[in-house]
Amino acid sequence: MSGKAGKILWDNLWTNNPIFIQILGICSTLAVTNSVRNTLIMTVGVSLSTAFSSWTLSAMQATIPRKVRMIVQVLVISFYVIIIDIILRAYLPEVSKQLGPYVGLIITNCIIMGRAEAFAAANKPVLSFWDGLTSGLGYMAVLVAIAVVREILGFGTLLGFRVMPAGFEPWTIMIMAPSAFFLVAFVMWWAKTVQARAAAKAAAAKSAPRPVPAKA
Amino acid sequence: MKKDSIVYVVVFTFVVCAAFVFFLALANEATKDRVAANRLFAERAAVLDAFGIEYSAPPEALEKYERFVKDQPVPEGAGAEKAYRYEADGKTFFAARVTGAGLWGSISIILGADAGVERLTGLQIVAQNETPGLGGRIDEAWFRGQFRGERIGPEGIRVATGAESRGTGDPDPDNGLLDGVSGASRTSQSMEAIVNGGIRALRAIAGGAR
Repeated sequence: MSGKAGKILWDNLWTNNPIFIQILGICSTLAVTNSVRNTLIMTVGVSLSTAFSSWTLSAMQATIPRKVRMIVQVLVISFYVIIIDIILRAYLPEVSKQLGPYVGLIITNCIIMGRAEAFAAANKPVLSFWDGLTSGLGYMAVLVAIAVVREILGFGTLLGFRVMPAGFEPWTIMIMAPSAFFLVAFVMWWAKTVQARAAAKAAAAKSAPRPVPAKA
Repeated sequence: MKKDSIVYVVVFTFVVCAAFVFFLALANEATKDRVAANRLFAERAAVLDAFGIEYSAPPEALEKYERFVKDQPVPEGAGAEKAYRYEADGKTFFAARVTGAGLWGSISIILGADAGVERLTGLQIVAQNETPGLGGRIDEAWFRGQFRGERIGPEGIRVATGAESRGTGDPDPDNGLLDGVSGASRTSQSMEAIVNGGIRALRAIAGGAR
């Protein structure tokens, strides 16, 4: 179990990351990553929604008819997102006001339905919860990295605190959605290059002739 | 019963929908008083901010609102949804709640001014659906703060966009000019139109009060 859990964590963070390998959840990557604070709230929301939706759908899988499985998936995902929205409105009204329509839009995040279809439909509830949570963490890691670059260069701040010198001229392009496209492409380039190098090294090590043991 | 039979599919879908909606209704019911209290506080705090009345905690804000702020009738055709009056040191101030079109949806603001509608006392955003991090930055303190004490020109105020705006807030309170949000020119233009609509409403309200 722990070996499988470790593999799921590694897959979702690196070898099968939702952003740079599965290319899911790109819409929200473009929209929210110009502010680290909004990115953190959004990604925590997505992680929790994915984890709980996967857990619930996995627990229900034996009873769901194939014909309506997608309707049920959307129902369960919407349920958790609306619960998050209600909690924010009741206990964190300022955050709720700032995020506006983006909380509701978590429902349309492809990662949640993707994990429900690809993992929760064929695995046990606890493992599905873990898969959902770690998929959210993989998404969070990439989005926060992009948001740090965009907020520093776009506003000269990090989490609202000034980090660039007073004379720094903010890069307006970094505030706008197209800059996230460039940065996502850079992340994909970097990750694919590192993964391809590691694979080439492993293949070379496998095909290299083994040293023949000396005869006595 | 077979899982793919039509009866099972219909009954299953109905039961599952009913169960999830029941829990949502339960969560809504459990938090509705708190949400209503948050909404009331947000609305009253916005009026205090528009009048430039300071407060430190929610109970103090509600108490100051009860003590100082009175409802003001809105003359027909003024274009305001609600109006408020505040009197201090022999001076009268008015505030109006107005709504206009933003880039993605409606933007509702509360705008305050002195009795002659010559200077603004403040602006607060009550509701907006602009892009978070872009147009949504109209709700940030630097943007709202520039409206406090700003002189109103004969045509109202102007919100600078593009290269004219530094995006950090205009420091001169006498030029009737404010900085727009960088990268959100359309929202900034909408704010100019909504605030000028609010100024016209305040002139009608102040005129009607004389």
